[in-house]
Order: sequence, then C-alpha cells, then structure tokens
Amino acid sequence: MNTQIDSNYTPDALIVGGGIAGLQSALDLADQGLQVLVVERQSSIGGHMIALSKVYPTLDCASCITTPKMSAAAHHPNIQILTNTEVEAIESRDGAHQVRLLQKPTYVNFDKCIGCRLCEYACDTEYPDPFEEGLGAVRAIAVPFTNAIPQKAVLDAAHCGTCGTCARVCPTGAIEFDQQPRHLTIRTDAVIVASGFQLNAVTVKPQFNAHRSRNIIAPITLERLLAPHGPYGRVLRPSDGKMPSSIAFVQCAGSRDESIGVPYCSRVCCMYSIKQAMLLSGALPLADITIYYMDIRAFGKGYEQFYQNAKAMGINFVRGKVARIHPVDGGDLAVQVESTENAETPMEPRRHDLVVLAQGMIPGWMPADSTPVACASDGFVATPALTAPTATTAPGIFVAGTAAGPKDIVDTIAEAGSAAMQASQYLYQKRSALVAV
Amino acid sequence: MAMKTLTPEQKQALAALRASLGGISEQKRQAQKHLIAARKAIHRHLEAQPATIPQIAAALDMPSDEALWHVTGMRKYGKVVESGEDGDYPLYALAAYEEKAKAGH
Repeated sequence: MNTQIDSNYTPDALIVGGGIAGLQSALDLADQGLQVLVVERQSSIGGHMIALSKVYPTLDCASCITTPKMSAAAHHPNIQILTNTEVEAIESRDGAHQVRLLQKPTYVNFDKCIGCRLCEYACDTEYPDPFEEGLGAVRAIAVPFTNAIPQKAVLDAAHCGTCGTCARVCPTGAIEFDQQPRHLTIRTDAVIVASGFQLNAVTVKPQFNAHRSRNIIAPITLERLLAPHGPYGRVLRPSDGKMPSSIAFVQCAGSRDESIGVPYCSRVCCMYSIKQAMLLSGALPLADITIYYMDIRAFGKGYEQFYQNAKAMGINFVRGKVARIHPVDGGDLAVQVESTENAETPMEPRRHDLVVLAQGMIPGWMPADSTPVACASDGFVATPALTAPTATTAPGIFVAGTAAGPKDIVDTIAEAGSAAMQASQYLYQKRSALVAV
Repeated sequence: MAMKTLTPEQKQALAALRASLGGISEQKRQAQKHLIAARKAIHRHLEAQPATIPQIAAALDMPSDEALWHVTGMRKYGKVVESGEDGDYPLYALAAYEEKAKAGH
C-alpha cells in the first residue's frame, strides 16, 4: 500500500472505488501480476460492507469477510491504494485513459503516522460520527473506525478547532497542517468503475414523517445498531436510549415508486430486512417484530428458506402498503397500513417504538458527467452488451457491483471477478496487438 | 501524555490553516462551549449515581437524543460504562465510579 504515489505511476488498471467490488476486482487482477491502483474517496477502504453487522442468508459476520480482503489488498505488492481521493474526470484517447484525481488533505503524513491514536485521545472536539450514521461521536482528528484500513488518523478541518494539541502529542511528528489538495493525472490502459451505491433519504416520502422522529431510521443505521462494535453496544432507539419492544420494517419505502424517481426494485431490501428482523429477535428476544411488505422477493440461493426460517422464528409478515407514519406520545410511532389481504376491513394504526424504512438504492457516482461512460435512464452505468454484463459504452472501461445497478453482495463479488477477467482479457488483447505490430 | 511545544513552522502552518478555514467561526466556538458544558454536567450528574438517558435528560433539561449522543461519546472514549438496567433503559455510570464499586469501596 502506498498512499503517496505521483503522476509517473502508470498502473495497468485503475479501479474507482475501494468497496467489496473494487477490492475483489483489484485482487483478481493483481494476482495475475498486473499493477492496480484503487482510488477511494473515503478515508478507509471497505465501502458499505464494512459497516454491516452480518450477511444473509448465512448470517456470517460481514467484517470477517470484508476485513481479510481489505488487508489482502492493502498488503498486496501489486496494489496501490489512494484514499481521500476522488476521480474528477476520465479522458480516453487511442485506447488509453487519463484519469484526473483530486487527493484531499488529511493533515497527517501517512508515512509517519503509526496509528497510536494519541492525537485522537487528546483532541477535545467531537461531532456526529458519519460512520455510525450520526449516532455516535468522533473526534476532529481520529482513525476513521476500529478496523479501518489504513489505520491512520485523519483530521477533519471542518470540525477542527486548530488548537494544535494533536501536533503536540504526536510521537512521530506526523501532523502536517500545511497539506494542500493534490491534483494528479494517472495514465492507465483499463478502468473498472466500482463506485457503489447510496441510499435515498429517509425523508424522501413526506407521508412517513421521518423528519419529525429520530425513531424512524434507515436500514444502514440499524446495521450499526446491530453491529457488536456499534455506537451503543446494543440496540437502543435513538430518541431516548430505550430498548425497543416493538419494531416495524416498512418495505419498498424508497423503491418501486415513480413519484420519487425510483421506479425499479432495489433487490436487496426484502432479504436484508428479514436478516435484520432475525438478528433483532436474537438481540431483543421479547420484542414484537413486524415486516410490512408488498411482496417478498427471495430470489437467490437459500433465500426462500431464509424467509421461511424468519416466519418460523415468529416474525410477523403483514402484506400491505404503509400509507402513513405519525409520531405519537412517548416517542412511539403509529403506522397506518392498507392491507392487501383484508382490503375490506381497514386496519387500525399500529403502534411501534422503532420503524425501519427500506430505502432505495441509487447510484453512488454519476460518471456520465465527467467520463466517456454512459449511464442508463435509472442513473446507473449502462451495460449495453447482453453477453458482456461488465462492459460499458467506453472501450477499456468496465463496471462492477452496484455501480451498474442494485444487487446483493454475492452477485457483486461474482460480477467483480467477471469485470477483472474482462479487463485482463482486454489488456492481453491490446498488448498482443501491439507486439504483433 | 507528553506535550511537546510546536515549532515555529508548525505554528505558522496552523495559523495558515486557521486562516484558510476563515478563522474559528462563532458557531464553532459556541458548539465547542456547549459540548464541554454538556459533558461536564453529565459527568457531575453521574458522580452521584448511575442514571438512564431519560433521567440524565430530565435532570439537565436537555433533549434525550442529545443526552444519548453525549453519553455515547463519553462511553466510546472510556469515561462512561454501562451499569445494569432500569426497566427498558440501560443505566450509565462513570467508569471511575464503576471501578470503585467493583473494588467494594
């Protein structure tokens, strides 16, 4: 791992995004002897997956799968990683790509930082931790999270009080207040776009009143609550620290709705909600857990059995559409459901003390604005060739994972391997043609 | 923790960073003041006995979500620990108080 590379470095392939798709592609290419540069905009690689508690349908620990891949990529002699770096533009000419990057200052010299966290312990400024979805606190200079890679402190200038204490306590003199944003241009022959996804806001549907209650949360927030090293160390509701006794999951809360611009199915919500419900029933054995759904899409291997197991565990599945959610006294929420099983008898509003909205997946990055890669009408990277699902509209640029559309971790990893193989084949053919000339 | 003195170059770089951020805004100053005051008040409240989030919030006239956020931060950095439950709510105690209680003082 080298975070201080310059424009003279010419990797065989550049990967946009250091999530599970980008890391899998990087490892597959690097194991073939190719030089790979991974560009990640966050302070750590690992993407969304490192924030998850467990994965479905096996209920394996998510970080136990992600961390070894993060570590393998960071220590691979053929992989270089740039964190805190964004892709500004890609220009393609004569089969080569010039990738313009912007590396943001961390105010810490990564070659000197030993990850001791003395600066973090000495800092007295805290703000809501983005990794914990704002539930926890993080200091203005901190290692981003426990199993972050690189294990280096990063100073957030927006929250820093510029007191200088971090520099006074740093044993290696790693704090550099004079760091500036760095522009660099990398020339490469192949690019894999693995820029992932983001979720639409919990406030996207005003009828759910998420702006009026802290107890209406996003699924990723619940993942942090369920994680053993999560902000509270257990599942508590964010408004007042109560152990919830009645939890509702509202499916299709941010997908399959043209009125919010997300007409497609996000494909993962049914299964992660079932997984979260199962984990909740383990963490809170007395809690009443209800999933309000339109239809359950359990399409993968072992998924239907997983769904049946959840029902057998006592999780309530109510077929219907949630029309409204209203905050009521005591921080609780009244959920008004239009049942499709018993349409003639309107259901009374049901009271829950925590509601999880299954938000929709939307693109994490729009490459069409600054690269030759075209996007489809849903905003995800277009993959026009049916027989080459990782090929984009630009020769030599491939796509992997949720950058191409909603998909789960299993499909993401499989597709990342496929993108790496296509990129490798492209490089081989291109270089064979050059040798023949 | 050993505190070193900043070199003239570090002082100059720090001043330049402060200037590039537009100085320390009044909003930032107030937020820091509020953070320190809230943490001190929670610390004082927990010196007497462990408390739940609603109890802390009521005693300090603070929104309960804000009290939870502060206690979460204090817990992360080792000032506060969980100390049993009171109904549906976990109890929080000062780490030092809990250590003393365990030692039988």
